[in-house]
Amino acid sequence: MANAALATTGPRTGPSTGRLATVAIIILLVLVALPRIVDPYQTVLVTYGLAMAIAALGFNLLLGYTGLLSFGHSAYFGAGAYTVAFITRDLAVQSMELCILGGLIGACVVAALFGFVCVRHTRIFFGILTLALSQVLWSLAFKFFWVTGGTDGIRVAYAKLTLLGGMINFAGPGSYQRFVFAYYYYVLAVFAIAAVVMWVIVHSPFGKALQAIRDNEVRAGFVGIPVRRYRWIAFIISGTFTGIAGVLWVPLNGLTTPDILYWPFSGELVFMTVLGGFRNFTGPIVGAVLFNYLKTYAVASSEYWQLLLGVVLVALVLVLPSGVVGTFARLGRRFARRQ
Amino acid sequence: MSEVTRRNFLNNLAVGAAAAATVAPVTYFAGPRPAHAAIKVKGVVPDKPFKTGHITFLTGPANLLGEPGRKGHLLAAEEINAEGGFLGKRKIETIMADEAAGTDANVKELRRMKLSEKIDLFTGVISSGNTPALGPVAEELGLLTMFNDGCTDFLFDKAVPNPKYVFRVTNIQSADGVTSAVGAAKAWPNAKRVASIQPDYSYGRNVHEHFMLAYQKLVPGATSVSEAWPKLGTTDFTPHITKLISDTPDVLICGVWGGDYVAFYKQALRYGLFDKMKVATTLAFGGQPHAIGKDHPEGVLAGVHANYFFLHPAKGRWPTNDGFVERYYKRWSEYPSFESDGAYASLYLLKAAIEKANLLVGGWPEDEVIIAMLEGMGMDTPAGYLYIRPDNHQGYKDAVIGMTKNNPAYPFPVWDPNSIITIPIRDITAPPNWPKPGTTHNESTAAANWLKTTWLT
Repeated sequence: MANAALATTGPRTGPSTGRLATVAIIILLVLVALPRIVDPYQTVLVTYGLAMAIAALGFNLLLGYTGLLSFGHSAYFGAGAYTVAFITRDLAVQSMELCILGGLIGACVVAALFGFVCVRHTRIFFGILTLALSQVLWSLAFKFFWVTGGTDGIRVAYAKLTLLGGMINFAGPGSYQRFVFAYYYYVLAVFAIAAVVMWVIVHSPFGKALQAIRDNEVRAGFVGIPVRRYRWIAFIISGTFTGIAGVLWVPLNGLTTPDILYWPFSGELVFMTVLGGFRNFTGPIVGAVLFNYLKTYAVASSEYWQLLLGVVLVALVLVLPSGVVGTFARLGRRFARRQ
Repeated sequence: MSEVTRRNFLNNLAVGAAAAATVAPVTYFAGPRPAHAAIKVKGVVPDKPFKTGHITFLTGPANLLGEPGRKGHLLAAEEINAEGGFLGKRKIETIMADEAAGTDANVKELRRMKLSEKIDLFTGVISSGNTPALGPVAEELGLLTMFNDGCTDFLFDKAVPNPKYVFRVTNIQSADGVTSAVGAAKAWPNAKRVASIQPDYSYGRNVHEHFMLAYQKLVPGATSVSEAWPKLGTTDFTPHITKLISDTPDVLICGVWGGDYVAFYKQALRYGLFDKMKVATTLAFGGQPHAIGKDHPEGVLAGVHANYFFLHPAKGRWPTNDGFVERYYKRWSEYPSFESDGAYASLYLLKAAIEKANLLVGGWPEDEVIIAMLEGMGMDTPAGYLYIRPDNHQGYKDAVIGMTKNNPAYPFPVWDPNSIITIPIRDITAPPNWPKPGTTHNESTAAANWLKTTWLT
């Protein structure tokens, strides 16, 4: 019984793949048209949201699909971001593709190392371990200021970067507007690829095995799933996705600071995923975009922005435990039944 | 420099307020214009509001510095608006955001202010961790910016080495540590064992480095015997305090600031730290004056970020300050701090630049013309004479520091008038176009290199 109950709370396969693909393509078309409709600032905000959505997708592979709550995903976001900062500063790399490759490797290595330790435990012990290890990276970035710039961080000027192997560069006047426009499409493309890859992963036999592990670890072990190894692989994939988000985020922000390695940032990733709903594939995506708007406008509109975010979080947990997407899906189903 | 002895070098550094008062009067000063002196505006100026974005600490322990900055800005805006706004037409409208949201959120908010709210000017910013992030963004956006503080040398040494749109009004950070070193060396010339407690980020490291550099030149044989690096925002200083006491220093240099400093001195009192060593600070009087209680010990070198304390220049000596303190007190029922002075002077500097630019080109001047006017501009501000250096867009004024003393006229400790020293800024900072880090040297700042190569050896 308990297993059945758990299974129903996991991410659903939802409507048929064909219908889902149609909806996804419509949303993608809207996103493609977006910069021509809204002002540049909104374009920047959506770019931030899409980058964070990749991180939240990665995060949710652990939380929603494997049943592991990580409180240290800032580490992989930061690993991606700092790798970009190091290779642009020290190796004079300009190509964004090389940055992505570098950040991917950086985040992957860190996730493999940390994951190796963390997946030996579950529940609160897993959470505490991920938190502790991410804080190690934070203190390294914070204290080794002659390498990392400390709290000043490392600057990564978008103007020095090139996209698509040097085909698009941002030298000369009016470059910021051009960057906003071009970079939006760049991030959108990476996001689309990441979302499709994640979709394939969670619907593959491997993804199903992860869900089996989440629902009943002992039973999954009995049917022959190498539980710890699968968790480790899920951890690495999760960390790498978050790392790619970090890579994409750096040129937007203009610099890396230890803030992105600090535990509240891990908390933000959890917040995003809970906001959208970790029981749906699309929940983290919606949550990341929404959270980005929420925090930006909370900071802009009130000095009580922390209070506002806190109230939203409490309300979420109490009233909308399945997140925005989960709640809408439920309302939609209820509506359809009435029809 | 080689013919100067250590003693008269020190004496020359601290020439007192008299020098500042001898500066010839200029047309522009920070404060409302006398009724008869209204300027003539050339050409047609639109009456569109002048939108200003102001990011400062509205919450948290750093609010002790953010709040007076906000109040200084609003006071200046209200005064200018009472005259009809810039050029009598464009009223200042300010939108605020909380700096405590973190560097990355500040970057995002600055972009929002420019791209979405279409601000004409960006001001504020307290933390040295934030200006190096926000400066380049302002340059990218082509947004006229007057930082009140966040005065790290790093901003114009490295982050924005050739600023076009970005200016900063309060004194450069390296001057802060050096000012405390000069004050400490004058007060306690035999204090050789130096301990240091600094917030663990760029500001703390800057203070520690520049204090030690200057102090070791001024007090031969001075050595560092203890260092404590509490994280910014720490509320428990006990382990640091006991460590400092156990290392038996003669003098402690403390760069802890804002609410952190209040927590530090109250805890230090319990351990008798102030009886066991002399204490020099860079920002004890950096927040709102009433934030420090009467329980604060006397005889502590109380820094103001090398900028301004409301009792100096003393009443009657510098009318710009008298009027400012009076109006500020009337408006906010409290006394101003150096952040108030910086934020207040920022808007008046801009006002003067806009008026000059208008006389030159007529109508509402382009940013480029305003910037050309700001470069090299001098002005009488409450703190004294302020000069915006054209090479790095950095504001310079003579540095001040004094000793704490309880005066029955105020419900908080103030400076002992006999202890205040004023140091000509040119004596403690690198001159224009001094090589920046990463060019002919690899010191952390241009000032550090200048100190090492030109001060007494």
